[in-house]
Amino acid sequence: MSAKHNACPRCRGSEVELQYQGKEDSRVIWSILHCTRCSFTWRDSEPPESIVSEQRDPFFNVDPDEIARYPIILAPTP
Amino acid sequence: MEEIPARSGVEKSGNGVQPGSIAAATKAPRRIGSLRDFLQLLSENRQCITWPAPVMPEPDIRHIAVAASNDVQNGPAVIFDKIRGYPGRRLVIGVHASWANIATLLGRAKGTTIKEMFFEMTRRWGAKGAKPELNWIKPEEAPVHEVRVEKDINLYDIIPLTRINEFDGGFYIGKAAVVSRDPRDPEDFNKQNVGIYRLQPHGPDRFSLLSIPAHDIGRQILVAEKDRRPFRIAVMLGNHPAIAMFAATPLAYDESEFSYASAMMGQPMTLTQSGNGLDILAETEIVIEAELMHGERVMEGPFGEFPGSYSGVRRAPLFKVTAVSHRRDPIFESIYIGKGWTEHDTLIGLSTSVPIYSVLKEQFPEVQAVNALYHHGMTGIISLKNRYGGFAKSVALRALGTPHGMMYLKNLIMVDDDVDPFDLNQVMWALSVRTRASDIMLLPNMPMIPIDPAAEVSGKGHHLIIDATSFLPPDNVGPDVKLVRRPAGEHIERLMDQIRRIQEDAAQ
Repeated sequence: MSAKHNACPRCRGSEVELQYQGKEDSRVIWSILHCTRCSFTWRDSEPPESIVSEQRDPFFNVDPDEIARYPIILAPTP
Repeated sequence: MEEIPARSGVEKSGNGVQPGSIAAATKAPRRIGSLRDFLQLLSENRQCITWPAPVMPEPDIRHIAVAASNDVQNGPAVIFDKIRGYPGRRLVIGVHASWANIATLLGRAKGTTIKEMFFEMTRRWGAKGAKPELNWIKPEEAPVHEVRVEKDINLYDIIPLTRINEFDGGFYIGKAAVVSRDPRDPEDFNKQNVGIYRLQPHGPDRFSLLSIPAHDIGRQILVAEKDRRPFRIAVMLGNHPAIAMFAATPLAYDESEFSYASAMMGQPMTLTQSGNGLDILAETEIVIEAELMHGERVMEGPFGEFPGSYSGVRRAPLFKVTAVSHRRDPIFESIYIGKGWTEHDTLIGLSTSVPIYSVLKEQFPEVQAVNALYHHGMTGIISLKNRYGGFAKSVALRALGTPHGMMYLKNLIMVDDDVDPFDLNQVMWALSVRTRASDIMLLPNMPMIPIDPAAEVSGKGHHLIIDATSFLPPDNVGPDVKLVRRPAGEHIERLMDQIRRIQEDAAQ
């Protein structure tokens, strides 16, 4: 995993998994990363407005510690 | 022109009709059995292109999709087969993104007006109660099962996923037709549901599915969890083009979307069984078989949605993929959704309008046409033969009581039958000269779709009825106003043709 993606661009958590790499003749073209904390998924070849924290619109930041802000659509049976 | 490879079981007709010609509208429509058949027909009609150069998954595919669909009348579907990092994978976008493509699906010529297509669909809607015609083939003969993956499943390896809008929470699957069965009555074919839901992959073999309790599948998920029963689904990607167009149409709970799509197309769909026991389209490109992970909820969204804004982040049910079947060299079908006009609007505009019309027509034969093309019917226009002052308001209130109208029909404009509701210049004329400010009705705190940014609270807000019909007693009809008779009819149409020919001759 490239050093620049050791944190999630959306929640800044460090629970980042490398899930897939797109290759051409064994050469890696891009990698797909997934944050298991906030569920954000991204490709490291995307424009920086989407995947670099400092350049993303902060409106779209997510804070999993404030879980109550994110409603459950179908509440499971207790 | 690229030949879209056909597979076994796909009947190719050779009736010699040139799609797009006037003759095409009068002869029997060519059989469309699958997405591939339809892409072939669109290609012959110059309504499907293959992008010639390598593209990056983001932002290139998003940009090209928007550019193609900016031509709402004639924009083509676009096939990508040179996606960087996805060698050998194919993606098509914009299959339903123009009126020319919708006309082709309905077997009509390019240039068929939206109004003509509306009446074509109302005619077919009348046949929906006919005995359903469906073909069945064995799974071992079904093209969809040509390749079967049951171990080491990785959706990223099979599907060229891309981010549809720049701040989406992941790589959405926006045109998935999901098949599920009533967990308490799994043998009843008619209670099998086919619906279009948005899916967000959360890893190689996990995805979330967004639904609300009012949706068929939302109800089924809650029942399965309450009863602690397994709940299995089949996600069909790259489908017969009628499925995406008609699976989003509100039907009664015990009406089969497969039968309905067959009736609307006048041609039977061909079904087979998925590995987990559901009925699926035999010629679909990719089928993901999955099972609900009881009690699991994961963060879902945001996603750029059809009102032109992002839905928020919510917690949604999670599914585990148990197997994937696909055709050899499958074509993944994607869609661009966002600030309109987009493929979403052309895809479901007519199938939103027709059921509202059909319900109203039963009780109010005065209703002439319904145009609910705008953002899934958030704004609609209804034309009718006015009977007396205030009549249109009563019809409007009935429209708000239709299954779709309750939440979606937010702004409703009522016009007379001398106004074509599909011609916005005529609608604006009616608004300009026939609307009194006292002829509007504001209905506060009504049900509203949760993703409407104009809601007071998510799911609730105000509806608006504008009565732009003519004044009739007991209205105060005011001074004697007589309309100008605008010359119209065949004579005027012949003159229009003549003028066009003179223009063309002058240009040569």
